[in-house]
Amino acid sequence: MIGQVAAAFLGTVTFALMCGVPWKYRLCCGICGGAGGGLYVLLEQTGFTASETTFFATVLVIVLSRYFAVLGRCPATVFVISGIIPLVPGAGIYWMAYYLVMDQQELALAHGFAAVKTAVAIVLGIVVVFELPQRLFRIRKE
Amino acid sequence: MCDEEYEQSDSPSGPDPCQVLETAMEAGHILLENGAEIFRVKETMGRICRYFGVEFDDFLVLSNGIFTMGGSDREKPFAQIRYIPNFGTRLDKVVAVNQLSREIEKGSYSLEMVNRRLEEIRHMPGEKACMQVLATGLESACFCYMFGGGGADVAVAFLAGSLLYIYMLKVGGPHRSQLVGHIGGGMLLTFLCIVCHNLGLGEHLDLTIIGTIIPMVPGVAFTNGIRDIADGDYISGIVRVLDAVLVFTSVGIGVGMMFMLYRRVMGGLLL
Repeated sequence: MIGQVAAAFLGTVTFALMCGVPWKYRLCCGICGGAGGGLYVLLEQTGFTASETTFFATVLVIVLSRYFAVLGRCPATVFVISGIIPLVPGAGIYWMAYYLVMDQQELALAHGFAAVKTAVAIVLGIVVVFELPQRLFRIRKE
Repeated sequence: MCDEEYEQSDSPSGPDPCQVLETAMEAGHILLENGAEIFRVKETMGRICRYFGVEFDDFLVLSNGIFTMGGSDREKPFAQIRYIPNFGTRLDKVVAVNQLSREIEKGSYSLEMVNRRLEEIRHMPGEKACMQVLATGLESACFCYMFGGGGADVAVAFLAGSLLYIYMLKVGGPHRSQLVGHIGGGMLLTFLCIVCHNLGLGEHLDLTIIGTIIPMVPGVAFTNGIRDIADGDYISGIVRVLDAVLVFTSVGIGVGMMFMLYRRVMGGLLL
């Protein structure tokens, strides 16, 4: 579990590097990704379905992103783009391709459909949290 | 002293509206090219125009073009269209332009200073290629581990990810077809993983391939597309989401094609 969170953290930081995120924001990107990945693993173990898990993890990532955006005075996109990478259904696309080639149409379809469901969960997570008013994310100054 | 300067740049007889619009276009161009959302481009352009006293602030911003036409009884006519093909994402430039537009609003910039700063941002250096190759390898390795890969799998993912990025650097240039490039990338990464697997490196072929796929995921196009659609910029949003879906599908097709090829040549089952 801790190893997976660390992997999600480091993976997100390297992805942020690839997108050219400045150094001072990369750590925050990593925290978003690590938190999302961690929540995903945690919820998956407690028996939630893949789409529910992805939805809640995405919500966490976007909420954190919006806080970091206020703190760092920069666009939230920077954190969102990097932060959702651990949640992307990369495995789904692999299994779909694999079973298509193996002539197991039903399994291929099932995995492809699962990947689409995950993608929709991510979309919902992003849209819902970005509709929340900005004042919720304002941080009070002393 | 300070007040005088402020008034100069803010008065209607200050900067030429055409030049202001030109500067706004430049800022919008940098933003759009490097992965900003449509609403941010519009907002930044509008902010620059308003601060320098240009009344007109209505732009048509699409996913790869900005259309501006201006002019009223007090302002000279202005028309410009920019075609902006977007390849590659440099979020540091987006952050820098965003920062600049905030500073402009605080009132410490003249038009020439803005132009100079935009020029600087345009030529900001990126990460070194070797750094990017290592980062891609590391990313593949991390996600391979996250999905449950062991030590040898992680090593294979690191190798395949690094080589994949070298391929993307050499072949995936802006003048090539993105689709063919990604199908080739999918084939290459599968090939590398299969070769390593057959050499006895790594136990889980599936996990190494999944880890190596992740750096090819079109995260920027997908996220921005969703946000554009949510903001009501449907045309740009659909184009970006379509872009993401096509890239994702091409990678899948590439992986599948290599599997098929392997089966034909070796005649065996994979896993």
